[in-house]
Amino acid sequence: MEETSDRLNPTTDTSGITPEFDPKTMRSTKPGLKRLFITTSVLFSFLLGVPFLWKSVEIYRSPLPFHDIDSLSDQIESTPLRFPCNFHAVFVGFESTDPDNLRSQIQDGINQLTHQSTQCGSCNFSLSVTVQNPADQCSETLAHNPSTCSYRCGVITRNEFGVGLDDTVDESLNDVFSGCSENSGKTYSVVVVNKENANGEDEVLKAVVGKRRHAWVVGSGLEERYGDIVAGVSEIFVKVFMNGGRDEESIHGEFMPVGSDGKIVLSFSLLNSNPRDWVYDWDFQRIDDALLAPVTKALAPIANISVESQVLYHTPKSSFSAWDEKLQGYIFRTSDLPFFVNSNEWHLDTSAGASGRSKILQFVVYIPSGKECPLLLQLPNGEISKTNGFISPMWGGVIVWNPENCDKDSESPSRNTISPQELEQIVEIFLGQFRQLFGFKSEAIYTSGLGTYKILPSERGFTEWELDVLSRKHTCFNLHSCSTTLGSLSRLVRSLPRMIIKDEIGEQVKYSLKAAKLAQSNASLGGYSSSASSSREARSLAENVFFHPSIMSVSYFSYEHCFAVYSPFFLPVVAHIVLAVNREWKRYRQEKAKYLTWLTRKKTA
Amino acid sequence: MASLVRSWIPLLILQSFLVAVAFGSKEAEQFSEALLLKPLPDRKVLAHFHFENRAPPSNSHGRHHHLFPKAISQLVQKFRVKEMELSFTQGRWNHEHWGGFDPLSSMNAKPVGVELWAVFDVPQSQVDTSWKNLTHALSGLFCASINFLESSTSYAAPTWGFGTNSDKLRYGSLPREAVCTENLTPWLKLLPCRDKDGISALMNRPSVYRGFYHSQRLHLSTVESGQEGLGSGIVLEQTLTVVLQPETTSVETNMQPSWSLSSLFGRKVVGSCVLAKSSNVYLQLEGRLGHESKNVDTEIEAHKLWKNADFDLSLKPDRVLRESSGLLFIFDIDKSSDSEPFDLGLNWKLPSKWSCQQAPLQASRFLMGSGNERGAIAILLKATESQEKLPGRELTDGRCTIKANIFQIFPWYIKVYYHTLQIFVDQQQKTDSEVLKKINVSPSTDKVSSGMLEMMLELPCEVKSAAISIEYDKGFLHIDEYPPDANQGFDIPSALISFPSHHASLDFQEELSKSPLLSSFKEKSLVRSYTEVLLVPLTTPDFSMPYNVITITCTIFALYFGSLLNVLRRRIGEEERFLKSQAGKKTGGVKQLLLRLTAKIRGRPIEAPSSESPAAESSFLSTKLIFKIILIAGAAAAWQYFSTDK
Repeated sequence: MEETSDRLNPTTDTSGITPEFDPKTMRSTKPGLKRLFITTSVLFSFLLGVPFLWKSVEIYRSPLPFHDIDSLSDQIESTPLRFPCNFHAVFVGFESTDPDNLRSQIQDGINQLTHQSTQCGSCNFSLSVTVQNPADQCSETLAHNPSTCSYRCGVITRNEFGVGLDDTVDESLNDVFSGCSENSGKTYSVVVVNKENANGEDEVLKAVVGKRRHAWVVGSGLEERYGDIVAGVSEIFVKVFMNGGRDEESIHGEFMPVGSDGKIVLSFSLLNSNPRDWVYDWDFQRIDDALLAPVTKALAPIANISVESQVLYHTPKSSFSAWDEKLQGYIFRTSDLPFFVNSNEWHLDTSAGASGRSKILQFVVYIPSGKECPLLLQLPNGEISKTNGFISPMWGGVIVWNPENCDKDSESPSRNTISPQELEQIVEIFLGQFRQLFGFKSEAIYTSGLGTYKILPSERGFTEWELDVLSRKHTCFNLHSCSTTLGSLSRLVRSLPRMIIKDEIGEQVKYSLKAAKLAQSNASLGGYSSSASSSREARSLAENVFFHPSIMSVSYFSYEHCFAVYSPFFLPVVAHIVLAVNREWKRYRQEKAKYLTWLTRKKTA
Repeated sequence: MASLVRSWIPLLILQSFLVAVAFGSKEAEQFSEALLLKPLPDRKVLAHFHFENRAPPSNSHGRHHHLFPKAISQLVQKFRVKEMELSFTQGRWNHEHWGGFDPLSSMNAKPVGVELWAVFDVPQSQVDTSWKNLTHALSGLFCASINFLESSTSYAAPTWGFGTNSDKLRYGSLPREAVCTENLTPWLKLLPCRDKDGISALMNRPSVYRGFYHSQRLHLSTVESGQEGLGSGIVLEQTLTVVLQPETTSVETNMQPSWSLSSLFGRKVVGSCVLAKSSNVYLQLEGRLGHESKNVDTEIEAHKLWKNADFDLSLKPDRVLRESSGLLFIFDIDKSSDSEPFDLGLNWKLPSKWSCQQAPLQASRFLMGSGNERGAIAILLKATESQEKLPGRELTDGRCTIKANIFQIFPWYIKVYYHTLQIFVDQQQKTDSEVLKKINVSPSTDKVSSGMLEMMLELPCEVKSAAISIEYDKGFLHIDEYPPDANQGFDIPSALISFPSHHASLDFQEELSKSPLLSSFKEKSLVRSYTEVLLVPLTTPDFSMPYNVITITCTIFALYFGSLLNVLRRRIGEEERFLKSQAGKKTGGVKQLLLRLTAKIRGRPIEAPSSESPAAESSFLSTKLIFKIILIAGAAAAWQYFSTDK
């Protein structure tokens, strides 16, 4: 590396060539490029190394299918999930009615009722209509879907139908429509029976919705009230079978009190607000075995329900109540309800038995103390609530239960057990509350503009068509919650570029998306249980990902850290190199200028 | 948010309800409360709260409960706990003054911090998993960092040294856990009356935590029903032991202080918990048997027992029991009410002195050695005065002996050399075969498991002192493993000394009603005592070290790189020419000096211009010397300045 470019000896070299050679401003040899080349190559190799360094300090991020997540949530937003349903209307005893005409009219009616509410979990229906004239001859118009079971003509006779108890009628209808293939959705049927006008006067129109998937309308002279009947039938299809008789303004359908692992824990607590006045106990084990077990069994496709109970003492409510002379009781109003639950003293306890993300619904039976007995709930219209209870959506319900006799007779507290009859009443109220938490009505009558329908209650708490509605809503809710969870995960991941994302997270997101897709396709094919289970899986996977421990602990390997570690090396070195290149470049230009002046001088000479 | 419920009238099948399976004569869940008060010889008062909750054998455990806490039952059900004890303690039990040979001290004198042990009813392979899950559940339930016992370095599986022989037993303790009211509140939640009513209403937090010692304990055990198809019952025993100092106005130092419940706790009992089957207050007086006549039947004699020349009680006891070493007054608090609160007081009239029964040997433990590399742990057992009187001596080969079990857990960073175990009896070293009857050692594995030492000593009855020492090396932890306050040192959990042939029990001369507290005292309990917690300082690194290393290494690299680059682009010939031309000129002394200095640094000898005279050279040499001195002095000053700055 002995550099010799500047080894010019002015005394020997220049003397002979030109007399005006000035060593300060000119040079006779070409300036060398060696040093400039070395320094720039070092600089460039550094610049080339930057991407490699960048790559090496990069943290591992498993690629997430952002696009798929976005498309899933877009899809769920834009096209609500619809399940295939088969509606079958049977008109018995109608003389001159064309089934095609009827079908199109009912179809119009249904469309009219559903067109504004395209909410998730509704039906993608196919309608078939059978008309049986008084001579027991049928004409039918079937839906495009051939799988619907056909009604065997003449099974329902016009005059014998609807006699007897509603329950038996319901059972007989079930026999009539049994054997339906349920491969593509459930079949709901409405039977309209036009009775002979025996007495010469119009019978009262009777409309009943059964425990299974059937409804019937019985009356006479129905042919004259043709329009009403058509409207009524389409209303039963839409409002009852499709929407479950829910009030539009009640609890929003998107909320289902089911944990993401598909479990519900019903935690019953009996609160003795002051055991010094009286102590009440209950035999909940019997209630559980006798009354709650059928309900939990019925709801098994929707959720895995377990029941717990406890008795707590010294649990005053945290709102105040005032004595009302007219009502002879202590009154608490609906405006007091937000303050009724005393979270300090009511240690209802999250259940250790409920693992992970089960939903716990608290049902509280509150026994007021002697100072506030009887405790009555006043409705906004001034009346006293019949149930003396209220619910709080997604939390549970409270029932205030007043002892028979509010007078404290003796100094020592009385120990009592709530009698089975009273317990049964409490459980009835609870079942109503439970239905309300799922968004159903707690009363057995559905009233609409066109009349009232009697709804046969099931001893299991939920009828079959209600369970269908629940199952549809549950699938919807799961898919919706899955897509929102994944959406917020993708937003979070995109907003934190230095967050480590492990492979298992990426995998679980993929599985979750896959399960969601499967649920959607199953739903469109009419597989209620399969779509419910895969939607549940999608949701639970999405929540697993979101609450994954590696996501909860955001990495500390930040940009600041990176800078602190690498700057002690790179700052001084880069300063050296840049200065060297700069200097060499300047010198080269200067020397070149010298050389050029020498050249011109030589030329002129 | 809330909407009203209107009645939903389902056709409930009442029949099935009525024909519901009858459970026969079902035993109910039972709860009882008791408080034991005991004046201590060193002018303090011990208060021992005892709550017992029994759930009979049933299949609905964890699901339906009336009095028994649901959370505990679910815990038992879920982790299949057979027996479990959890204690939170602050302060150290004074074995000398507060007793060491009664059921109270052997059960309630606990090591500082948290201690947890549990026996599981699961297959051997699942015991560790159950333990880990249990620690997490308990830490959530009791608002404490019990979950630190999850790591396998913090618990051990004692075989026989702990007293309970089971291969499904796990034991762990956290000496540094701070115990305070946030642990007491969840503990109280398990009682049906919490601290709203009954005896637990006395638990005024400031007075409880002002005490010298408090230990809150939760012991649960399952009772097999013996019946086919029926689950097991659970007994939950919760105790709180507090040692308080009553405030005295008396100036006499040998006079015992007089106290009452309201002066001790600042509260009074206004009635029993209505849910309790029995609620009693006991007052135990030790060492007052001498001047009592045998017949307590007469009214006057009985009256003398609680109102005499020595002391008087403010309330008449409902019953008086005699036991071997003292008197037990029983009060029933059912009669008290808001207007007439129960406020028991003890008023001393004459100076009184007595001593507590003590364990045969008193244990203490200390560290030996200095420095951050190695040390030794010594356990010293000293004979107590009461040793001769105690039962439980054994004759082996014609010699009278006392057996003592020592159970000790070592964290893995205390690397114990078990071959260095030395045993001294009365200052004379003994060989292992002479005194060591049984020993079980499980060595620690670095960062995986803690070490455990169980040994059974057989000492002669007339022993005055025995000492055990064992040497250890201090290990190094990874920088991530240090706790936030690493300089404070690391705790070695208490050793447990138990005397397998000594059992403490209170022996009442009369048969009495089934009071859970008294029946637990009547049961023979193993005499045991815990030693102090040791604090071992470990070498702690400078936690900014990684960054310092990075910075220094990078600086060196940068220097190397820079100088290499400079060498590459040096033009030697040009510099020489330049120097020559500079030498030709007359330059100032300073400038020339600098020039020479740079040349010196670059490692090239300057070609001294021939024109320079030797005289000038000598003067230059002297300036060079001066400059060197100044440079060194400056560097020293800078070093001093920066090193003292910290």
